[in-house]
Amino acid sequence: MITLQHYLLVSAALFSLGLLGVLTRRNAVNILMGIELILNSANVNLVAFSRYGTGNLQGQLFAIFVIVIAAAEVAVALAIVLTLYRLRRTPNVDEADLLRG
Amino acid sequence: MNELLDSLRRFHPEIALTAGLLLVVLVDATGVKARDLLCRTLSAATFVVALVLCVPLYEAGWSGELFGGMLALDPMSVFFKVILIAASLLVALAFGSSREMLGLGQGEFHALLLAVTLSNLLMASANDVAMLYLALEMVSITSYVMVAYMKGDRLSNEASLKYVLFGAVSTGAMLYGLSLLYGMTGTTSLQGIREALAGGFPEENRFAVYLVTFLVFAGFGFKTAAVPFHFWCPDVYEGAPTPVTAFLSVAPKAAGFAVMLRFFFRGLSTSGPGAWDLESTINWPMVLMLISAATMTVGNVAALTQTNMKRLLAYSSIAHAGYIMMGVVALSENGARSMLVYLAAYLFMNLGAFLVVTLVHFYDGSFDLRDYAGLSRRAPGLTLAMAIFLLSLMGIPPLVGFMGKLYVFAAIVEKGQTYYWYAVVAALNAAVAAYYYARVLRTMVMDPELEEKPPLRLSLADSSWVFFFAMANVLPLLWWARVDGWARSSLTLFAGR
Amino acid sequence: MNAEAAVFWVFAALTVGSAAVVVLARSLIYNAFALLFTFFGVAGLYVLLGADFLAATQLLIYVGGILVLLLFGVMLTHKLYDLDLRAEVAQFAPGLIIAGPGVFGLLVITILKTRWATGPGRPPAPTTAEIGRLFMGPYLLPFEAASILLLVALIGAAMIVRRRKDA
Repeated sequence: MITLQHYLLVSAALFSLGLLGVLTRRNAVNILMGIELILNSANVNLVAFSRYGTGNLQGQLFAIFVIVIAAAEVAVALAIVLTLYRLRRTPNVDEADLLRG
Repeated sequence: MNELLDSLRRFHPEIALTAGLLLVVLVDATGVKARDLLCRTLSAATFVVALVLCVPLYEAGWSGELFGGMLALDPMSVFFKVILIAASLLVALAFGSSREMLGLGQGEFHALLLAVTLSNLLMASANDVAMLYLALEMVSITSYVMVAYMKGDRLSNEASLKYVLFGAVSTGAMLYGLSLLYGMTGTTSLQGIREALAGGFPEENRFAVYLVTFLVFAGFGFKTAAVPFHFWCPDVYEGAPTPVTAFLSVAPKAAGFAVMLRFFFRGLSTSGPGAWDLESTINWPMVLMLISAATMTVGNVAALTQTNMKRLLAYSSIAHAGYIMMGVVALSENGARSMLVYLAAYLFMNLGAFLVVTLVHFYDGSFDLRDYAGLSRRAPGLTLAMAIFLLSLMGIPPLVGFMGKLYVFAAIVEKGQTYYWYAVVAALNAAVAAYYYARVLRTMVMDPELEEKPPLRLSLADSSWVFFFAMANVLPLLWWARVDGWARSSLTLFAGR
Repeated sequence: MNAEAAVFWVFAALTVGSAAVVVLARSLIYNAFALLFTFFGVAGLYVLLGADFLAATQLLIYVGGILVLLLFGVMLTHKLYDLDLRAEVAQFAPGLIIAGPGVFGLLVITILKTRWATGPGRPPAPTTAEIGRLFMGPYLLPFEAASILLLVALIGAAMIVRRRKDA
């Protein structure tokens, strides 16, 4: 029998992996992928709670908005990464070090 | 349908902003020669209209929910609307002379400014966790673009990249926390969350509540640049065009505090007469105190060694966020009111300081403090105004910054003995801060110049704006009863939910 | 093990396994395609949870939009002849310790310990009509706000990337 906790553990794994990606990757696009994993993990939570909880659709609707927001965010982030590459010929964030700290 | 029409009737400022946004986008798309000026006029006009439309909302003094519980309207949210629109209006009008923005199309800038203002308003009134997250991301994403405005500039690009990545992770963590909150309470509306938690929660859930609050605070802390989520702040402030920096230091921060106030008080607390107790077992005041103390200290200590004016003001604004948080810590009606007063004061002193920095950069091309030497000789009026702003930031009476500090200190001290150490820390911080504000002043007035530079002649428009901000820091004291009364009434109905 | 459980494990393994590849593999192309499978896995989980509209949206937007965009990002930020798209990794150990036993452990404990708001639940049923009704009702404002967000993101992204010919 698959319970709520099963789904929550899957999403916890996704969140942790996403966080790992964000912390350890140098390439900006890789970091973005990590962020997408984090957002997906939260979405899985929302849908799982919607299904096993009080039965309202609020979780699913919230998840739809998260998807929309993720799309907008990625578009803007990639525009910035592309500009970084044009100016500095590298997609690595730690080579963007003109600003200290 | 009726409910929708009712909501729309109380939604006029936001509707005006949306209309303005669409108009600006259209005008900018036509490609007429005068479109920069046209867009600027349109956006300023929209802000004025939106501001005017806030007045009937305030007079009506109505409190309740709009759009099916998505937004909350009460005098406090109207107060925030006014502050947020005023910030945008001032940035749109007063920061026209920016060397960094020369040669870049202004149309998109004003469209973005209108959009971010609309998003700020939504964020400050959000009553549902989904709306809150949506509005917060709207503000963030628009801000990322604004910071990246100088696309050919490496610093601007780097700043916006750091901003995006840091912001996306913080808000992603916040989202995860919000999803857990939904799981615990079964609802996304703040009202519902409070009802679910008010009855107390089972012991097993305590850990989850801690976790949720930490995660959610990641998002709020990012927006208000509180420790430990402040790392993006100095770099982003330094790399962004100064008008954008000035705006970011005030508006999204204020909106962040509004949403923090609403979330922690509407969502997570029960109301008592005149005082709010946050959910039982967790000593929230202590946690917030520590965060606020850390924020103040980190901001002030780091500012001590800065020579770049933008970075200095960035750390200064981090410290001020710490002071504003004192109002949250106080967890009382006085506390919330002190936050409002401080934010209003902060608006005028910070924008004033940034305006001076922008103008000096426009004429001299430098953000370095050492190049401010001898400014008193070359531009006495500007130096005097900057002195006013710096003294206000320091909290010297009779300037408006002093009133802000007075209110937050009073709110904390009246809470009793356990809070005294915190007030002492804050006072020490203010003293430390005085050092670096005074250092700027000293450089401008007393340091000898390395080379003779011609007198700085400001245009009439620029001087008028500097004068305006200076007066805004000085005059409110004369009508203080009015301001206090306004802040007081902004709070009366909020506590009643 | 019944059918539901079997399908769950398949999708769960697909999702988490691909996510691990996204984060750990060295080649950017592997990362991107693993992300594709992760999104597919998540969509499968949505279907299992009865969120049919959401699953379709996930595929359309995440796979069809966001992933394609990320692939463009990968391709455009390396020289064309640099087929060996290596992704470099910063200090791995501290990150692994924080994310691994640290965060994951924390989350597992929390998840297993907490008493979630369980109720009648929602047995899987078509959701599209209901979602549509909600969008036209209580969720009208966020719906419109999201459209403003998309407009701004469009303008913003285009503005950042566009090369201006005039000074």
